Amino acid sequence: MVYLRERSEDERGVLSSPLVIVLIPGSQTAYKGVRYFPLLRFPRGKLLQFQAFDESYVERLRSGDFRTQEHFVAYFSELIQLKLRTRLHSPQAIEDVRQETFVRVLAALRTPGGIRHPERLGPFVNSICNNVLLEHYRANPNGPSIDDDPETDFADPVIDILGAVAARQMEQKVREILDEMAERDRRILRAVFLEELDKDEVCREFGVDRDYLRVLLHRAKQSFKSIYLKSIERTPPVGKQS
Amino acid sequence: MDHKDAVRLKATERYLLNELDPDLLDQFEEHLFDCQECALDVRAGAMFVEQSKNVLTETPQSAPTPVMPSTQKNWLSWLRPAVAVPVMALLLAVVAYQNLMEWPAIKSASALPEIVPYATMNIATRGATVPVIAAKPGQNFSLLVDVPPDGDFSSYIADLYNPAGKIEWSLAIPAAAVANDSLCVRVPGTNRPGGVYVLALRGIRRESNGPSEIGRHSFELRLQ
Repeated sequence: MVYLRERSEDERGVLSSPLVIVLIPGSQTAYKGVRYFPLLRFPRGKLLQFQAFDESYVERLRSGDFRTQEHFVAYFSELIQLKLRTRLHSPQAIEDVRQETFVRVLAALRTPGGIRHPERLGPFVNSICNNVLLEHYRANPNGPSIDDDPETDFADPVIDILGAVAARQMEQKVREILDEMAERDRRILRAVFLEELDKDEVCREFGVDRDYLRVLLHRAKQSFKSIYLKSIERTPPVGKQS
Repeated sequence: MDHKDAVRLKATERYLLNELDPDLLDQFEEHLFDCQECALDVRAGAMFVEQSKNVLTETPQSAPTPVMPSTQKNWLSWLRPAVAVPVMALLLAVVAYQNLMEWPAIKSASALPEIVPYATMNIATRGATVPVIAAKPGQNFSLLVDVPPDGDFSSYIADLYNPAGKIEWSLAIPAAAVANDSLCVRVPGTNRPGGVYVLALRGIRRESNGPSEIGRHSFELRLQ
């Protein structure tokens, strides 16, 4: 069994991570019914900078370096959530799969020969996530339970000041991009992303094809990317700090 | 899938629009977790979409602009009152004349008895003489057709060929219309020139794919 617990007073010191992963050798990880501590909280948009996933990164992760762990979770959390958004409709299910994925990856790091190719850390996380997702489907054949509230907005609980400023700047940039668009293009985006209408019907109604939709999104994204890049470059990258 | 493929396929946009089929989706996700450039692209796109929803929710939606035809020259531009009113008046006059003058005359004419020219022919035989029908221009005439007795036909088709040899019309005839092995076909005389016509009769057997010709006979229409 693998689980996380709060680091006790005796254990604080060298490693700054507030949590410790406990491995019980010889046991199977039970997915259902195991309660995990919330994994490292991460401010949205931060710590998503470029990092080379190499031997030294994996070694830092293995040794429990806090900043590396923080970056690892932040970087792959967003990708995992994007991956799961169309596959799981319950925020709780997404969170469960995300946590289990990280637990298994970190457990594999501590297993001798667990990650043979550090440069393939990304695809390794993806394949672990796929396995966890399959197990989730088997354990929940009926889909989301009646208690799950699909309308619950899965908001990040930690919002620091810098993050709030960055979020406001990004929102402002999005407003500018939308204002510069033709009214028809704004209505197309509204129909597709806000009202979630069928894309073929939207294209028919507005007299455009699917490629127009893709190009519209591409241009908007490219305009937005510069401000987005600035927001994630505010924090110095892992490993460069003394 | 490598980075070049992802760019060429516009995979980021397709991913955000949920347009990738399952196979491509798996391939792109494997690449996405490996390629930081594509990961940044997808994250920026997703962030844009998320922020757009907030902004678009706040922005009141303007009234939908109907797709109006151009007010410049088009085929409806002639429909102005100065043109439409006189045309409508003319149409009304034509309708009134037809209903008040022509139609009553046609009705009364059709109610009167009349002698209709006719010709008889045995469809199964090719006689040396061609029957002649003497009719006034535009006058209807009848063809009395002897049909060989054959209880196996469920229906018939009569085809009229004009003097040029082209088929003018085909008439579907239920078997019940054949009485005493005879058929009476009324041929409209309107706009019909004189000349030698041919009537062909085809029969459709029960449990068969198509009609088969029973026979054909010529007749001459002489206009007086």
